[in-house]
Amino acid sequence: MTAESNGPMISITNVWKYFGQFPALQDVSLDIAPGERVVIIGPSGSGKSTLLRSINRLEEIDGGSITVNGQDINDKSNDINMLRRGMGMVFQQFNLFPHKTVLENLTLAPRKLLDLSRTDAENRALLLLKKVGISDKANIYPAMLSGGQQQRVAIARALAMQPAIMLFDEPTSALDPEMVNEVLDVMINLAEDGMTMVCVTHEMGFARTVADRVIFMDHGQIIESGPPDVLFGSPRHPRLRQFLNQIL
Amino acid sequence: MDKDEGQSKANIIMVTDGPAIPNPRERRLINAWSIALTGAILSLLLLCYAGPSSYREALLFLPDGILLTFKLTALAICCAVPLGLLTGLGRISRNRCVNLIASTYVEVIRGIPLLVQVFYIYFALSQFLRIQGVPAAVIAVSICYGAYMGEVFRAGILAIPKGQTEAARSLGFNRFQTMFYVVLPQAWRTILPPVGNECIAMLKDTALVSVIGMPDMMQRARSFASQSYAYFEAYTVVALVYLIITLLLSKIVSVIEARLNYYDRRK
Repeated sequence: MTAESNGPMISITNVWKYFGQFPALQDVSLDIAPGERVVIIGPSGSGKSTLLRSINRLEEIDGGSITVNGQDINDKSNDINMLRRGMGMVFQQFNLFPHKTVLENLTLAPRKLLDLSRTDAENRALLLLKKVGISDKANIYPAMLSGGQQQRVAIARALAMQPAIMLFDEPTSALDPEMVNEVLDVMINLAEDGMTMVCVTHEMGFARTVADRVIFMDHGQIIESGPPDVLFGSPRHPRLRQFLNQIL
Repeated sequence: MDKDEGQSKANIIMVTDGPAIPNPRERRLINAWSIALTGAILSLLLLCYAGPSSYREALLFLPDGILLTFKLTALAICCAVPLGLLTGLGRISRNRCVNLIASTYVEVIRGIPLLVQVFYIYFALSQFLRIQGVPAAVIAVSICYGAYMGEVFRAGILAIPKGQTEAARSLGFNRFQTMFYVVLPQAWRTILPPVGNECIAMLKDTALVSVIGMPDMMQRARSFASQSYAYFEAYTVVALVYLIITLLLSKIVSVIEARLNYYDRRK
């Protein structure tokens, strides 16, 4: 998947999403440029994870449109499975495949979906494991890893498909505090490599360091957005001020 | 994650007929399984060597029947397990038509006793289509157990956390690939014990096909009894042989089950 030279990489336009009667997303619009690092913050239930999951259609939206590289992801004529290959996703609960070794977790998708040979897929996987700092754990099962290590494997697994976009859904929220930094460091490295990143997180320090733009959501709406120093330094909206007071 | 596993166990317990399979963590020498097996083998040996000769004759009359029972069971397992898998997949299918067919099959078959199904296929259908004894028996047992196993497969598949499917789909796997590369290999572990249970139950239920004249273990015991009038001896021996076979099979299933837990071991 190659980024188009002009125009946004991800374009979210007037998106609505309901869970039963509950409006999880209310008329949300957001454009993300190639190489941009966007961090979405907000209280729980504000719709930030739903918005992220809508981008690769893990959630089906009820109104509006989302395009990735100019392709409407909800258009039935576009193969969502092909589009998803270009978007890596990292989950709060890691979701590694427990019946596969670390190495097999990384090689499964490239081998089956990209038809890479075993050797090619393993070489690619080993490079990625080195990048996330766990090359010595290639042949063990995920259950034997710590949470931080599992999440780093999960990031490497997503990267093995060489996506143009990485989506992070609260990647550090399920981790013990002492393991948060090892995962954030991997994400910071990734950001420095120029990856387009959309990240839902509660780690404000990370948002400050990495984000080009921070989005604050509440009640299914984007309340405020801007560069981190502006958003954290001089928040305009009272709900954002209240939120920042609670967590900082 | 632990909570999910607890829930999956709970799901499985709901669909089994009861724990026929010994707990692999039960390591003591004296447990229900070993008492039952030793008791059965000792009684059989004692009766045949120290008891009246009719016990020995009854036992010697059985081997052909044992073979047929195994043959019927093996054939029925080969048909029922794939049928169960298809039914289970059908029951969770998003395609309404497929789902309805699978669900109706399960409802209908579960509501009719196996004995009636055996009679139906062998005698009632013979008006239109003559089915030989062995195929009729295998068809009846497979169709019946395919429905039960469908429920086991369904529960086992649903017990796999949703995050596994989401992770696979987010990598670009389609529904089918997700099922076969990610969900089913994990579901096997929870599905195997109840499926093993069903297979053992199948072996026992093949005794029902003796009513259509199949010379299985049960039928052999019946003919021995009617020839020799040694009813007590014949049925005691056949009961002990069934017991020994099912106890051994349940042990095998529990060993396989323990092997399937390989990736759960922690540091």
